[in-house]
Amino acid sequence: MVISLGIEPIAVADTKGYRDWAVAPELPAGCLDLGSRGEPNLELLLELKPDLITGAYGFGLDEAPFKRIAPLHMVPFYDGTQAPYRQAEAETLKLGERLGREAEARHLIAQTAATIEDARARLTGQAAALAVVSMFDDRHVRVYGGGSLLQDVLDRMGIVNAWTGPTDSWGFATMGVEELVAIGEAQVVSLEPIPLHVKIRIEQSSLWANLPCVKAGKVTAIPPVWPFGGLAAAARFAGFLAALA
Amino acid sequence: MTATRATAGDNLRHDNGSWRLMLLVSVPALVAACLTIDGLLRLLPADMWWRALVAADFTDPRQLLYRHAFLPRVAISLLAGAALGLAGTILQQVLRNPLAEPTTVGTNAGASVALTIATLYAPWMLESGREWIAIAGGAATTLAVFGLARGRSFSPIAIIIAGLVISLTCSSASALLMAANREYSAELFIWQSGSLVQNGNATVLKLAPWLLLSAGAAFLLSRQLRLLDLSDESAASLGASPISTRLSGLGIAVALSGIVVAAVGVIGFLALAAPALVKLAGARTLRQRMIWASLAGAVLLWFTDRLVQILPFASEIPAGTATAFLGAPLLFLLLPRMRITPDRDRAMSPVARRRNGWAWLVPGLVVTAVAVWAALAMGRGSGGWHWAAWGELVELLPLRAPRVAVALSAGAMLAVAGTMMQRMTGNPMAAPEVLGISGGAALGVLLLFVSLSTFNRPALLAAGLMGAVVSLLLISPTGNRNALAPDRLLLAGVAVATMASAFSAVVLAGGDPRLDTLIAWLSGSTYTATVNDAFTAALTAILLLAIVPLTARWLEILPLGEAASLCLGLGLTRVRLVLLALISVPTAVATLVIGPLSFVGLMAPHMARMLGFQRARPQLFASAILGGLILLCADWAGRMLIFPWQIPAGLLAALVGGPYFLVLLWKRRQ
Repeated sequence: MVISLGIEPIAVADTKGYRDWAVAPELPAGCLDLGSRGEPNLELLLELKPDLITGAYGFGLDEAPFKRIAPLHMVPFYDGTQAPYRQAEAETLKLGERLGREAEARHLIAQTAATIEDARARLTGQAAALAVVSMFDDRHVRVYGGGSLLQDVLDRMGIVNAWTGPTDSWGFATMGVEELVAIGEAQVVSLEPIPLHVKIRIEQSSLWANLPCVKAGKVTAIPPVWPFGGLAAAARFAGFLAALA
Repeated sequence: MTATRATAGDNLRHDNGSWRLMLLVSVPALVAACLTIDGLLRLLPADMWWRALVAADFTDPRQLLYRHAFLPRVAISLLAGAALGLAGTILQQVLRNPLAEPTTVGTNAGASVALTIATLYAPWMLESGREWIAIAGGAATTLAVFGLARGRSFSPIAIIIAGLVISLTCSSASALLMAANREYSAELFIWQSGSLVQNGNATVLKLAPWLLLSAGAAFLLSRQLRLLDLSDESAASLGASPISTRLSGLGIAVALSGIVVAAVGVIGFLALAAPALVKLAGARTLRQRMIWASLAGAVLLWFTDRLVQILPFASEIPAGTATAFLGAPLLFLLLPRMRITPDRDRAMSPVARRRNGWAWLVPGLVVTAVAVWAALAMGRGSGGWHWAAWGELVELLPLRAPRVAVALSAGAMLAVAGTMMQRMTGNPMAAPEVLGISGGAALGVLLLFVSLSTFNRPALLAAGLMGAVVSLLLISPTGNRNALAPDRLLLAGVAVATMASAFSAVVLAGGDPRLDTLIAWLSGSTYTATVNDAFTAALTAILLLAIVPLTARWLEILPLGEAASLCLGLGLTRVRLVLLALISVPTAVATLVIGPLSFVGLMAPHMARMLGFQRARPQLFASAILGGLILLCADWAGRMLIFPWQIPAGLLAALVGGPYFLVLLWKRRQ
């Protein structure tokens, strides 16, 4: 979110994880690794003397130690107050104010809406339902539904989510692959990266091979999109969906 | 011939008990069958069942599900359950220990860590099947346990201790690997929680022949295994070789549990519960127990797996977790009726060197002081290693001091609690984690975690304390009925601990993005330590160290056994209640600040004793110093080794302390 507003962070937690799973917007080359996302290294943070620390709210991190080092700006996502996309817009504005980049924030919001609108336009005529999944093992999929950022993007693009089952407060459900029968021959979009060990096992599965959607050749992988991300992730997702058509 | 007649006689004598066995198996079987038929009817009309079985039409999704998901799942639950019931019975017979199960002998941990390594670093190996990897890992750890216990003629206690330590070391290693590869570990989280969801016939077809072979071998061996009921000397005089019988029995059990672990992951509690239930219901002879425990295991797992499928949750609860949840309360109910013959084979045998100790405490304190200073001042920054100058230290102190204080006090508290528990129960396996206090605290925190979308530190602390108190209340009356009998207390503790770890497995498998924090806490990180935590922990530790010496006389007498204690005029109930309180409060505080990973509580007392601190008071202080030092060093190393990333202190302590502890055991064996 910070990068989307045109500011280069001096350090980010779990840079490798970010590059594998979120990919864009790209981290600047000189960006330092702060350690894990659960335990950013406070000693390194203290040494770097940053002007501002931003973090996502709701991951259970205690704010107090960060506040002692530098001013802290927390971004609440998935706290259940608003649909994730709306919240992402509101938080982008807030962050823009905090960083003195209101213009950039408004631009990002408008640009994201335009990207999604553009993606929707490219889809015309093809309003087939699809399901979005992450594959973490050969017997289960994580399917995104109501309450997720990805669902909001689908809604804005006028695409029906083929998965209508219940989801948790983060907008997804983990379930056995056989439940995918429920979506019939609908399109399945799976988010990369799919670990090699999962690919191997999936290929050996007779159930997977016989699923209607797999048999119909309707499973497509798209490059990584961080499903718990902000506007940049939403725009990225919309772009990939449009490219599928 | 003789054996057959004896079995028949036994059958007659306990005939009035067999209806209970029938009940034990048929009630869950009936319910499971109803649920299965109900599930089937929803899936496919009854008249199509047979046709879809022999000639399925896979363009029909219902038939696909029926053939490649539903039926394999039923089959796998029956097969895996039977295997675990049998494996548990064999292990309990071989080790003469009602707590024995694949987890206790290290099989599950070895299989788990082998699969974790293969999955993360050599996924191509999985192409030829994960069974072999899991069995190799399980066999390796089990062999290591044998090796360690061999010098002591496979004494049950020695095996259990070695198995426990190896398990802890392995699971710390897997936890560490998974923490370093968080996003790639989802499969492992799910696998560890024991899900029976199937994606084809492959697993069932692989599992079935293995099970048949092992079960056949087990029944062939059952005559020799029976002789293990006698003492080793009497068995030897009848021409049996207890050691080779044990080895073959354990080999079969390892094969059984290894293959199950490879196929469906860790199914908690079943291998412990099925044989125990069968014994309670009246199965006497080994052959009876083997047959009935296999049946009970099969129907219980089948029943559990059907049950989790009708529970209304967004993400399905894995059967392996559910078995622990259903089984643990059951154990609580049954505990008062359970006949336990404690094996008081002294692992606490005297050591050659004896130190009265006080002179050694001074250098111990000096070492601690130096270590504290080093942990505070020495560190890494973006520029590399350096000692902090005074001005810098003042800046760093708020970050480092709470962690150092928390690690030191938590280590000392757990060590003292462990020492007291081991002396009180006369059981060298005793540790705060085994008592279930840490487990209870963990449960409290986890429940808060899943019920709220946001949470803060005070709420976390309160939830943890609640959990600790509740588990304490649960455990106390269980033991109370028999004057807080030590072994029952341990069993009750195991039940709570199993529930907690099962619950954490299911939360971890759910894939909640807030998991990082939770994993950190579960693996004993001091990252979130606040100044308040530091003060609370330090104060509790100091108070504990001030009070505990007063109980030294009790702690000298209790290991001599109940009879001796009564003769020497100890009011056992009162003494045990006081000690229980003295154990639980510091354990709860330590768990809250450093997580439920309390390997230190098991390790430090043994180290102190092996160093020659035999008497209660010196042992208490020596293990407090050792426990504090272990966690302190682990915390410092964890902060520095892979800077800016950090390794949780609890994990590192288990990872380094485990092997060290094993070396001590190995040396002592001669």
